[in-house]
Amino acid sequence: MKRVLVLGSGEFIGDRVALALAREGIRAVVAGGRGAGGEGIERLSFALQDAASMGRALRGIDGVVNCLSASPGSIARGAAALYAGAALQDAPPRIVHLSSMSVYGAVHGNIVEDAPLRGELGAYAQAKIAAEGLAAGYRGAVILRPGVEFGPGGELWSGRVARWLAARRLGDLGAAGDGYCNLIFIDDLVEAILNALRRPGLEGGVFNVAMPDPPTWNAYLVAYARALGAVPVQRISQRRLAVETKMLAVPLKLLEIAARGARLPWQPPPAVPPSLLGLMRQEIRLVSGRAQAALDLRCHDLDWALAQTAAWWAKSQGPGPRGPEARP
Amino acid sequence: MIVDAGELPEGHALHADICIVGAGAAGIAMALDFIDTGLEVLLLESGGLAADPRTQALYEGEVADAALHSPPDRYRQRRFGGSTTIWGGRCMPFDAIDFEARDYVPHSGWPIGLADLLAYYPRANALCEAGDFAYTVGAAFPVPPRPMMQGFASPHFSTDTLERFSCPTDFGRRYGHKLRAARNVRVVLGANVTSIGLDAGGAAVESLRVRTLEGRTLAATARQFVLAAGGLEVARLLLASRDRQHAGIGNAHDVVGRYYMCHLAGTIGALRFTGPLHAVHHGYDRSDDGVYCRQRIALRAETQRGLRIGNFIARLHHPRITDPAHRNAVLSLLFLAKMFIPYEYARRLHGDDAVGTAAWLQHVRNVAAAPFDAVRFAAHMLRDRKLAERKFPSIIIASRANLYSLDFHAEQQPHAHSRVTLADTVDALGMPRLRVDWRYTAGDVDTVARALALLAQDIAASGIGRFDYDASSVEAEMTRYGAYGGHHIGTARMGTDPRSSVVDADCRVHGVRNLHVASAAVFPTSSQANPTLTIVALALRLAARLRVQGAAP
Repeated sequence: MKRVLVLGSGEFIGDRVALALAREGIRAVVAGGRGAGGEGIERLSFALQDAASMGRALRGIDGVVNCLSASPGSIARGAAALYAGAALQDAPPRIVHLSSMSVYGAVHGNIVEDAPLRGELGAYAQAKIAAEGLAAGYRGAVILRPGVEFGPGGELWSGRVARWLAARRLGDLGAAGDGYCNLIFIDDLVEAILNALRRPGLEGGVFNVAMPDPPTWNAYLVAYARALGAVPVQRISQRRLAVETKMLAVPLKLLEIAARGARLPWQPPPAVPPSLLGLMRQEIRLVSGRAQAALDLRCHDLDWALAQTAAWWAKSQGPGPRGPEARP
Repeated sequence: MIVDAGELPEGHALHADICIVGAGAAGIAMALDFIDTGLEVLLLESGGLAADPRTQALYEGEVADAALHSPPDRYRQRRFGGSTTIWGGRCMPFDAIDFEARDYVPHSGWPIGLADLLAYYPRANALCEAGDFAYTVGAAFPVPPRPMMQGFASPHFSTDTLERFSCPTDFGRRYGHKLRAARNVRVVLGANVTSIGLDAGGAAVESLRVRTLEGRTLAATARQFVLAAGGLEVARLLLASRDRQHAGIGNAHDVVGRYYMCHLAGTIGALRFTGPLHAVHHGYDRSDDGVYCRQRIALRAETQRGLRIGNFIARLHHPRITDPAHRNAVLSLLFLAKMFIPYEYARRLHGDDAVGTAAWLQHVRNVAAAPFDAVRFAAHMLRDRKLAERKFPSIIIASRANLYSLDFHAEQQPHAHSRVTLADTVDALGMPRLRVDWRYTAGDVDTVARALALLAQDIAASGIGRFDYDASSVEAEMTRYGAYGGHHIGTARMGTDPRSSVVDADCRVHGVRNLHVASAAVFPTSSQANPTLTIVALALRLAARLRVQGAAP
C-alpha cells in the first residue's frame, strides 16, 4: 500500500492515522489545509461531499480511512460521496470505515458485532448507522466500531474530561457512573486501523474496538483525575449532576457557540451534556474478541495510557496550577 | 427486577437457584455478585424501599437489662438497604491477630485467617465506597499527612493504621438500580421469612415460609439458601424454625444465640498536650480518591499477646458536650441542636446526663460569646455533611486549649452467657420475639483498663503531654451507654466443631447442606474493627463459593 486517503484530518483520529501512515512510509493524503502535515503527508484540495470530486481524489489511492465525525449531516453526505466515488474506481480501494458504538443504542450487556443496530441515541447514531449501510454495500469496506477514544490530543474524551475533573465538575458519580467506559487508547486504535488496511481477507468485516474488561465510568474518572493530579477526587451528587445537565448545559453550549462565532480567544467551561449521563449509566461492554484475533488488537495498560494523556494535558496547559487543589 | 410480595397471589411459590434472606449490606453485595452468572437469584426483603413503622415493629423485642443494651428495634433497619440506611460508614479490615486462637481470649480462633479474606476485602471496600483498600498512612497517602500526635513514639501502640469512611453508602439506594435491571435477580419486598422448613431428614432446607403484613403466605424454594438478615435476626430465624430440629436449626448443642458480642466503647479522661497546637492533628485527611481517612491509636498485636488482652484502638475526641464548662460555642450548639441529631448518634454524643436550666443557659451564653465559630461550623456541616453525598464523617472540633478526651473501641470477648433467645411474646406475624441478654466479662474490662493505662504511660514517656483519667471509672465509662449499638456479632459463630459453633469455615450451617449465613453472626470474635466491611468481604467469599459450585444442591 503506497497512498492512503485519510478523511477526517484535522481531527483527533484522522491526524494520528495520517502521522502513523507517514511513519510507516505510506503516503497519507489528506483533504484541505487542516491537520497534521509534514513529510509523507500530501495535501489535496477536493470537495468531501461531492461524489465526482471524491472520485477524482481517489485516483491512485490504495486505501481509505474514513474518520469523518463531524455533524450528522456531513457524516452522511461524506459517506455517500466516498462510496459513490469509490465505486467509480477501476481498482476499488480498501476502505476502513470508522463507525461508533452509538449504533448499538441504549442496550446493556456484552455486545458482539452481530447485535442489531438501533438509532435511538439520536441523529449522530442514525447518521453512523446510515453510513454503515453505505459501507456494507461496498465490497471493499472494513467497519470498525470503536468505544471511547482517548489519549494525547483527544479533546472529546481527554481534554474536555480533564477540564471537568480539574474544575471538580465531574469525579466519582456514584450510581450515575456505574456504566462501563469502553475505552480505547488512541495508539491502540490507530494500530488496529492500520492492520485493517493492510491485512487481506477482511472485506465486509465489522469489528468492535475497545479494551477488554473496561472500567466503569467512575473508575475511569477517578483514575484519570489521579493521573491529572486533580485530587482529592470529588464525589459529585445527583443533585449537582442534575444542575449541570438540566440548567447549565444549554447556556454553556450557547456561550461556546457565540464565542466561537465571534472568534473570541476565551472559551466558556465545557457543558456537561445530558446525553453524557445516559452513556455513563449504560452498562454496555463491547466484546472485541474479533478485533483481537483479526486485527491483532492489543491494548496498553490503562494507568500507563492515562499517565501519557495526563502528561499531554499538563503540557498543553502550560506552567502553573492545574486545578484548585492540584499537586505537582 | 424488584417486585412487592403483595402483588403475588396467595400461596405463590417463588423459586430460584439461590435464595438470600435480607437485602442489607451482605445480601445486596451477594446479589450484585450473582448478576449475569446464569444463576437465578431471589432476594427476599421484609421491608420496602422506605421505612415503614409496621415492618420496623417486627424487630421489637425484649432486653434483659435496658441499661446495658438498646431495644432490639434500634440500630437496625428492616427495609431495603437494611441497616446501611443508618450506617455511620466507618470501615477497616480485621487484624491478623483477630483470627488467631489466643489462650487468653476464651473461645477465640477462626477456622479461617486474614489471608482467606484478603482477596475479597478490596471489592468489599469498593462496594462500601471507601476507595482503595489502603489502611496504613504509607499505603493511602503518597504525601504523608500531619501525624495525629507529633512526637508520640510507642513500642505498644501504632498510629500508622487508618479508618476509612464510606459515603456512607446506603446499599439499597446505591445499588437498587443494578438489581432492578438485572435479569437473573428478583428482589421481593414485603417478604417476611417466618420460618425455615427442613426436609424430612433435617439435612437440607426445603423451603422458606414467607408472609406479608397483609396476611398473604408464600413459599420460597431454592437449591441454596443464605441468611443475610443481620446478627440478631439470623439467630431468631434459626431458633424459631423448630419443625424438624426442636431446639432450632443448627442448635443441637445450644450454641445459636450464644456468644453474643458488640464492642466496648466509650469516651474517657483528659488528654492535655504540652506542645504547640499544630503538633496535634485531630481530624480527617482525604486520600486522593476522595475518601475521608482518620489516623488512630492501635494496640499492637505483640502487646496484646504480652498483656494477654483483647484488641483495642483509641481516637482523640472533644470534651464532654453536656458540660458547658468547655466554653466552646460549637459544642454548646451541638448540645442545643440535640433534637435534630438521629437517636443512633445523639445518644453517644450527648449521653443521658441531666442538664439543668443553669447549664442550659450557659450553653446559650457559650454560643452567644463566639457566634462566628458556631456559624462557621454550621456552614461546614451544611456544605460538607448535609448537602454532600460523601459526607464529612463526624464532628471534629480542634481544641484551642490543646485538651481532648479519648474515644476507645475495644474487642469484646466471646462469652457463652451473653446471648439472645426467643421471648414468650410474638410479633404481628406470630413469630417469637427476641430477648437480648448482653453481658460482658472481667476480661473485657481488663482489655480497656490495661490498654488505657499503657497509653497514659506512653504519652507521658513521649513527653508530648499527659492523659489523666479515673482508672476506677473505666468499667462505668465503657458501659455508660451499654453495648455499642449496631454491632451484632457472634450469634451463629464459625468453627469446625458443631458442639461449639453453628457454621463451618464456608459459612454453612453444620449438618444442613444448603443453608448458609452471611452476617456478623458468624464472627467467632469481634476484633476492634467495625464489622460492616468484613461482613461484606465474607459475603463476597460465600458468593464466590456458591458461584463456583453453580449453586449445586
